[in-house]
Amino acid sequence: MDIEIRGLGIRFRAGVEAARGIDLTVRSGEFVAVVGPSGCGKSTMLNAIACLLSPEEAEVTGEILADGKDVRSCAARDLNFGYVFQRDNLLPWRTIADNVQTGLEIRGVDAPSRRKRTAELLELAGLTGFEHYYPHQVSGGMRQRTSLIRTLAYDPDVILMDEPFGALDAQTRMILQGELLRIWERTHKTILFVTHDLAEAIILAQRVVLFSKRPGFVRQVYESDLPYPRDPFELRGSPRFGELETTIWQTLRDDFRSDPTA
Amino acid sequence: MADAAGRLSVRPDRVGAGAPEAARRRRAGLSLAFKRGLAIAALFGGWELLTGGFGGVIRPAVNPALFPPPSLAIADLVAYARSGLLLTDMTITLGAAFAGLFLGTVGGLLLGLLLGYWRSVADVVEPILVAFNSLPRVALAPVLIIWLGLGISSKIFLSLFTVFFIVFFNTYLGVRSVDPDLVKAIKVMGGTRGQIARMVVMPSVFSWIFAALRTSVSFALTGAVVGEFVGSTAGLGYRMNIASGLLNTPRVFGILLLLMVIGVILVELAKRVELRLLRWRPPTLLQ
Repeated sequence: MDIEIRGLGIRFRAGVEAARGIDLTVRSGEFVAVVGPSGCGKSTMLNAIACLLSPEEAEVTGEILADGKDVRSCAARDLNFGYVFQRDNLLPWRTIADNVQTGLEIRGVDAPSRRKRTAELLELAGLTGFEHYYPHQVSGGMRQRTSLIRTLAYDPDVILMDEPFGALDAQTRMILQGELLRIWERTHKTILFVTHDLAEAIILAQRVVLFSKRPGFVRQVYESDLPYPRDPFELRGSPRFGELETTIWQTLRDDFRSDPTA
Repeated sequence: MADAAGRLSVRPDRVGAGAPEAARRRRAGLSLAFKRGLAIAALFGGWELLTGGFGGVIRPAVNPALFPPPSLAIADLVAYARSGLLLTDMTITLGAAFAGLFLGTVGGLLLGLLLGYWRSVADVVEPILVAFNSLPRVALAPVLIIWLGLGISSKIFLSLFTVFFIVFFNTYLGVRSVDPDLVKAIKVMGGTRGQIARMVVMPSVFSWIFAALRTSVSFALTGAVVGEFVGSTAGLGYRMNIASGLLNTPRVFGILLLLMVIGVILVELAKRVELRLLRWRPPTLLQ
């Protein structure tokens, strides 16, 4: 599914203007990462795409089109979006397996198919054996894996990801980046990935979109032309990765320097 | 922590205590149970001794006519049970308490959900409900007896009112404190309002209600017994009130002991139900 954002502006009723004139296109099957200074409106943009900003909360102007249809006129189910949050947002009263099948349950998929799909995904994420654990009984990495496969379970057309690995330790984070890459290389899901970690953006995405500071707009777009399949552990040492990081960092740093609140 | 395939291995500290740790805890548990048993035995022994029991080996420290030894209280309880009255009275009191617990829970749940969802009305009537909640509920007993008579219905209602407010406030707060991020997660997956209610709001509300179950149970029993004090024709509270008027202290103490045992059993049952139904919670929240 193509996502086209044209002249998107977001102003919270409380007064903060989060975004002004965002233009961004994500083609079907593309992996795009958005980076920018904290508070630049990149997460708010994801919420706008997912229709999670209520009119009482914020005023949204401009257009967000999913395959040419305005998302704000469609129900969430018709849009078939996936959203992986920074917090795992698993239902604490559901076991790992029951959390994974939540989306299928919402879609009315019958129990045997749900169980089959869940077992496959748990296997994929290395969570077999933890089906009956509750979220509080497993590690942060396992919870975030569960959150990821919960989203994959119902086969969404677009996956929005808001700093999904932000709360994890460096090692777990790289392992999960690797797993996400393997999943994307195999499925070619459309992914829009928000992060404040430039290295993460370069390692994962085909294009890195740099946001300005608030109110956010697209400042520059860089191609991350590292060849797939990618391995996060190896890429970090490669010369091309270093070049890309240096180039993008120059622009990003200028924004930090001119920000008196940083 | 992670193997070559990038999968997390089981972390023992998270998944369960090791066998030696469990054995150590079991031993400590046994000795604690033993010490607790000793403390209870000492309490009853001391009581018996100081109230002229054990054949009056020492001079009673208090007048046994006012503070009888436990042996007399228990002997009276046995006689009371043999007469068949005890079973009738207990059925009436517990019946009123359970009916009140059930109806109060259902009523509190319904109003709590209604006002939890209907914010505009809730904001208006909140002070009224807080005022009712501040009223010592057992003070309603005389009014209820005027309205409903000496029968069991006035006791059920007193019990109901005490439970109702506990459940109502827990439900109301439960609905209001639903994690908005969980709601968002379900919404993105295409969840309807009904599905959000079933998957997020209700489990969240039930966790509040079950956490208050122990309090609800003991309040239900209090409501029933106090209702019987104020005016009734049967029940444990009624029998105790009669005995008190006749200075039949062994009967009063016998019923007190019985109520204590019933209370302990009910609260323990409520605790088990709570632990079972809220086993998804991190243990720190339950203790």
